[in-house]
Amino acid sequence: MVSDEPSPSADAALNDPVARVGYLAEVMREIDAEVGRRRASGDLPVGLEQELDELFLEFSPVGLHGKARLRETLSLVDRSAYVDIAVPVASQKVIGTYVKRLIRKSMGWYIGFIVHQIVKFAWSVSRMLHVVVDHVEDLEAAVEVQRTPPLPPSVVPGADPGASWWAAEAVSAVSGVEGRVLHADCGAGSLLDALLAAGVDAYGVDPAGSVTESAIGRGLDVRAESLLDHLDVVADDALAGMVVTGSVQWLHPNERDRLVRLVGSRLAVGGVLALHSATPESWMGGISPVVSDLAPGRPLHVETWGQLLGDRGFRLVGVSSGGTDRRIDHVSTGNPDAAALNATIDAVNQALLGPGEYLLVAVRER
Amino acid sequence: MKLAFVTPRYGIEVIGGAEAAARMLAERLCQRPGWEVEVLTSCAMDHLTWENTEPAGTSSVNGVTVHRFPTASQRQLDYFDLDAKIRLAPSAVGLAEARRWVALNGPMCPGLVDAVAVTDADVVACYPYLFATTVDGIAVSPVPTVLHPAAHDEPALYLSAFRQSFRHVDGFVYHTQAERDLMEYAFGNGAKPQIVLGLGVNDPAGDGRRGGEILGLGERPYLCYLGRVDEHKGCGMLAEYFIRYKERHPGDLALALVGPVSDKAPDHPDIVVTGTVSEADKWDILGGAEVMVNPSAYESFSLVLLESWSLEVPVLVNASCAATMEHCERSGGGLWFESYRSFEVTVERLLADGELRHRLGEAGRQYTERYYRWPSIIDRYTGFLTGVVARGHHRPTRVKRLVQPDAGREYVRGG
Repeated sequence: MVSDEPSPSADAALNDPVARVGYLAEVMREIDAEVGRRRASGDLPVGLEQELDELFLEFSPVGLHGKARLRETLSLVDRSAYVDIAVPVASQKVIGTYVKRLIRKSMGWYIGFIVHQIVKFAWSVSRMLHVVVDHVEDLEAAVEVQRTPPLPPSVVPGADPGASWWAAEAVSAVSGVEGRVLHADCGAGSLLDALLAAGVDAYGVDPAGSVTESAIGRGLDVRAESLLDHLDVVADDALAGMVVTGSVQWLHPNERDRLVRLVGSRLAVGGVLALHSATPESWMGGISPVVSDLAPGRPLHVETWGQLLGDRGFRLVGVSSGGTDRRIDHVSTGNPDAAALNATIDAVNQALLGPGEYLLVAVRER
Repeated sequence: MKLAFVTPRYGIEVIGGAEAAARMLAERLCQRPGWEVEVLTSCAMDHLTWENTEPAGTSSVNGVTVHRFPTASQRQLDYFDLDAKIRLAPSAVGLAEARRWVALNGPMCPGLVDAVAVTDADVVACYPYLFATTVDGIAVSPVPTVLHPAAHDEPALYLSAFRQSFRHVDGFVYHTQAERDLMEYAFGNGAKPQIVLGLGVNDPAGDGRRGGEILGLGERPYLCYLGRVDEHKGCGMLAEYFIRYKERHPGDLALALVGPVSDKAPDHPDIVVTGTVSEADKWDILGGAEVMVNPSAYESFSLVLLESWSLEVPVLVNASCAATMEHCERSGGGLWFESYRSFEVTVERLLADGELRHRLGEAGRQYTERYYRWPSIIDRYTGFLTGVVARGHHRPTRVKRLVQPDAGREYVRGG
């Protein structure tokens, strides 16, 4: 049963944002369940309920936030498709009712003919919309089955790109470009600070909203969204440079393809792309099991990025390697098997344990 | 640093809406050392007629220098015909017709546009997107120009005239993340400098009277709506839902509609319509409410939510309004409805559950304290404007001013 007095535990939970959101969700779930129960009970006459729901829809936007209301909006169309020719004849004066009835009767054959055609047209449109909505829903269901779940931001380890080995090179790569430079994933904005200090007109995006708050609080132009979502709302040729790291490494192949296409159109001709990634070998060895298991994709070799970008009109202008170097030292030459062992170590180092990251710099030429 | 606001109307008489938001920002900013603020606006106060009711010339409003220019004409009836036509498929409307719609929407204010063209300000801020003063101001501004769109998802937003105009904006200032998402979706302006700023909330300034006493309700509990009493704000729907609710839940509960009345006010014994009230009465009425209801689906910010939360009053909002939903979801300070059924169940629950009301109100208060106090808002705004000025301005070369529509029949309020 509900009470009118706040409990001590409730007060404590108020200061915890996660608990607040959880509480709100729980209350709304309970409300939704009760709404469903009452709808099923039919305690409101069907006609009245429809009328009240229509009143809500009448003052609801149908654009960006109306997409989920496809069926409800369609039912509005259905209900509006019928045109009643029985014009009301009530009047405050007796003669008024008589005159109105006379007009209705004398005009009935004419209005009826016109209305018949209007209703026929409206029903045809309504039928077509039903077919379209059915197809859209089938498509949505088919796409949902094939959807690759994204990597939950909560499992991704925090990064500090401003303190990384490749930061200075990335800043240098985009210094001097004319226009805005996008940095993704920018985290708390440490590399953005370096870019701005170098005179670059930089802004950033990061899908983890919690890490961007401090950057926004410092007055940086940072948005809490993924690189792909952001590029979707950027005009062609609007960017002069991009510095990319983080989630770009584990994009699903379809998303990676989309990214390359978007980078190739949003970056102006002459624009510079600096892309940082782990090597596939170091990533599998160094990343947490949860990330490697749940990530929708894997990092690429630098040669593969070069190929993908080259196909989209980019020219590679530089590649640097760095990061954690886990190479095994050679054994002493005093060891009788040194030659064989060192050859094996070289092979292992080259295949698995070399510099674990790279920074690729490319320029859009066409 | 000197900032010139360009806004279709301005004054303490303009209650709610984007123009009032511009005034609040201007009044705080002009108190900041090193900042000079002026406002370029029309002589009109009524956004439906654009009738020149204020004297042209320079005056001071709460410390802000205001330059007023007469409108070239009142709103014409042609506007309503064209508006009905463009609503069907706004994005398919040609540029010439879309620009005509903007000109008819007005206010056409040639003196104001001339003044923007020769402004000595360092930066111009147009507020809000929908009006001719904004489109013309952007077209002629010789200095960096920022736009406060105050946009919501309505047909006019998709007109090509705005798309063409906004390419020349040097920075965007939004009320909410939802507004930013909408503008980015509509205009692909993601790479432009931008900031989600919002508005600050004043400290509650009631006289300590009981809200029920001011409303003539005595000890009766009441829901409260605060703002323009207007069909488009959802007030008709709210009144209808409330009347149905009362039919099914007889009792003391009342509804107070507090604010200037645009349309015919609902007539029901349990609904009190106050008209415009004093600032002190507004706070006292709000403070006494069980729940503040904002039924509007078209809000770009909704300052009244934050005012309610300042008093720890929980809110109930329209689920199809992105801006108010964003506030509720981020703060945990309010619930929402998406049909009569959910309105009924949610109101029932809120009225019966004191702990719920307390938790929502307190969560809302914390959210307001954290994000929407004036000093931090002004810090962020000045930082953003400084950055925009530093980037400079590429003045549009091919964009012309709107053409004054031919004289037609004028719209008359209530005519």
